[in-house]
Amino acid sequence: MNFDFTEDQHEIKRTARELLAKRSGIEQIREAAEGEAYDESLFTELRELGWTGIAIDEQYGGAGLGVVELMILSEELGYALAASPFLPNALGGLMIEHAGSDEQRAKWLPGIASGEATATVAFASDGTAEVVADADGAAVIVLIDGEEATLIAREDAEVEPLITIDPTRRYARVSASGGEPLPGDVAGALARAEVALSAEMVGIAQRTQEMGVEYAKERKQFDTPIGAFQAISHRCAQMLFDTEGARSATYFGGWAADADESQLAFAAAIAKAAASEAALSVTASSIQVHGGIGFTWEADVHWFFKRAQLDAAMLGGIGKQRARVTQLTAASLATAGGA
Amino acid sequence: MDLTFNESESAFRDELRAWIKANHPGEEPAGEDEGYAFRRDWQRQLYEAGWAAVHWPTEFGGRDASLVEAAIFNEELARARAPFPANVLGLLLAGPTLMIWGDEEQKQRYLDPIMSGDEIWCQGFSEPEAGSDLASLKSKAVRDGDDWLITGQKVWTSGAQYSKWCMFVARTDFDAPKHKGLTYFILDMEQEGVEIRPLRQITGDPEFNEIFLENARVPNANVLGGEGNGWTVALTTLMNERAGLAFGLQVGMTVALDELTEQLAASGKLDDPMIADELGALRIKCEILRLTAYRGLTATMKYGQPGPEGSLTKWMWSQGNQELMQFATKALGPQALTGSSTWGRAMLRSRGNSIEGGTTEVLKNIIAERVLGLPRKK
Repeated sequence: MNFDFTEDQHEIKRTARELLAKRSGIEQIREAAEGEAYDESLFTELRELGWTGIAIDEQYGGAGLGVVELMILSEELGYALAASPFLPNALGGLMIEHAGSDEQRAKWLPGIASGEATATVAFASDGTAEVVADADGAAVIVLIDGEEATLIAREDAEVEPLITIDPTRRYARVSASGGEPLPGDVAGALARAEVALSAEMVGIAQRTQEMGVEYAKERKQFDTPIGAFQAISHRCAQMLFDTEGARSATYFGGWAADADESQLAFAAAIAKAAASEAALSVTASSIQVHGGIGFTWEADVHWFFKRAQLDAAMLGGIGKQRARVTQLTAASLATAGGA
Repeated sequence: MDLTFNESESAFRDELRAWIKANHPGEEPAGEDEGYAFRRDWQRQLYEAGWAAVHWPTEFGGRDASLVEAAIFNEELARARAPFPANVLGLLLAGPTLMIWGDEEQKQRYLDPIMSGDEIWCQGFSEPEAGSDLASLKSKAVRDGDDWLITGQKVWTSGAQYSKWCMFVARTDFDAPKHKGLTYFILDMEQEGVEIRPLRQITGDPEFNEIFLENARVPNANVLGGEGNGWTVALTTLMNERAGLAFGLQVGMTVALDELTEQLAASGKLDDPMIADELGALRIKCEILRLTAYRGLTATMKYGQPGPEGSLTKWMWSQGNQELMQFATKALGPQALTGSSTWGRAMLRSRGNSIEGGTTEVLKNIIAERVLGLPRKK
């Protein structure tokens, strides 16, 4: 029993934190969001460092590491709210790597690993996905409809860029007919994608918790730092509670993906539900701790709040995950009882 | 990361599981005294087989179990629905406190009877005017030759009526600042100056007592950790209180949740999406508690102390368990509130979860100040 990263994994986390502190500070987030454009040089840097291929098999040009390492990067990119197509590309990569055919892998994974021909994934109904992250710039789009997943080349899809409440990421509406089915383990691939997405939300929750706590230490009212008032300090404790709970669940998901597939479906559902709840509640709570300034454009908490809203809705919301958790536990209890 | 048990941990679990299976004492009998006697017999059985205090060092009769093995012990007990040993406060609180602060004579004298259950221990900390603000306690001890005479009142004393000894904190210096004037005593409960009155709680059971002391006599040899050092010694006890029980409590919640899921499935209520949704939310909280407890354990083993997650598990458990019990009685319908069901009583008992062992509000203060570094409360 060892619920901690290896030294190498800690090193990945430290390196990512340091690099992103320099390359994706609040100024860069704001610039990218207000300009509605990604920081191309940042993505180039991440590609050159091999981040885009971290969890992709070496035969396709990746680093061949696991979902745990991808999860670590995703959390740090969420913490920095980095303006790049990193996550949707990684999620699309997981779908193709774990549910695609050899041919599909050979065709798409090298471009995803190098970041030169990116991917994305979304839930769709009858060939239409209403909101897809980074679809316009992608080379390949995976649409999941129920238990089936379809792979569509960008040129075969109709992509209409959308304005959403989250200006830190590009979104589009996608419709397509046809495409190739992914013949493999769609549910397992999706569970891995859910874990990587959850990690971004853990990073968002961690960052906004820290922003709220910092502000509560500095801001004075009634000649007192507001963090000395229990109405504020207990709210901050709740932010820690939510963030750490989501972290426990998400890391469990990463471990299950790499080490115990029998627990992956359950772990991913718990991770996605807990991380979504934490990202929504902690970002909202941090705005509240900031008071009036928290509601302004210049406070910067809102960028995280907005990303959290879209992330929580991506690949199925909290209600879907809870229903799945109940379904999985009821089934496992019935099996145990019958045995 | 490796969330499985290693070979020796698995061997420990398998040996224990087999032993519990062969020696399970069955259903606890109804009635406070009958139940207590039953749990005392069970402890004797554990003691004779060397399972009573796995987390204690071998020199004191334990197995020198690792933190993970100690967690496995509590998990397995709860999973088998076997009772906790009667002298739980002695095993988890008094024993470890004695090991740190006791002199050689005290360790020789008290530890073995704690493990066997021959001598039961209770905890005399809280007073009517000193709850969360424990250091303001007023029970007074004054010197009388080689003895101390103690006068005062304690409350929330579980198992006082069965206890031989009490971990008792009293004020010995009224001029010192409030944290400095306290002394930790080993008080003999079987004497004239000690009166025990059962305190009925909202379930109707007298799980707790009030104790009244009028010149109760304690020899100076029964001071633990030195005169005036009572606050520091008491903190050792309190830290063990929050860490020790977490695993058993977490599995207790899982067991209750499994039972509820089965009952709801059997009655077809699981098909109701609102029920399935709330049940899923509870299962997620329960799993998060389990995972967070293991994270804390790993951090303690690797770095000597738990990280920020270590302070959260008691709060997670109390909130989760209260929500679970309230949901159970709502989802199962009004028959869950009748005498023929155990859920109603369990729901009432759960209201104490967020108060006992440190209120949720005090835990939030501790997290805010010590983990987040926020300024002290106003």
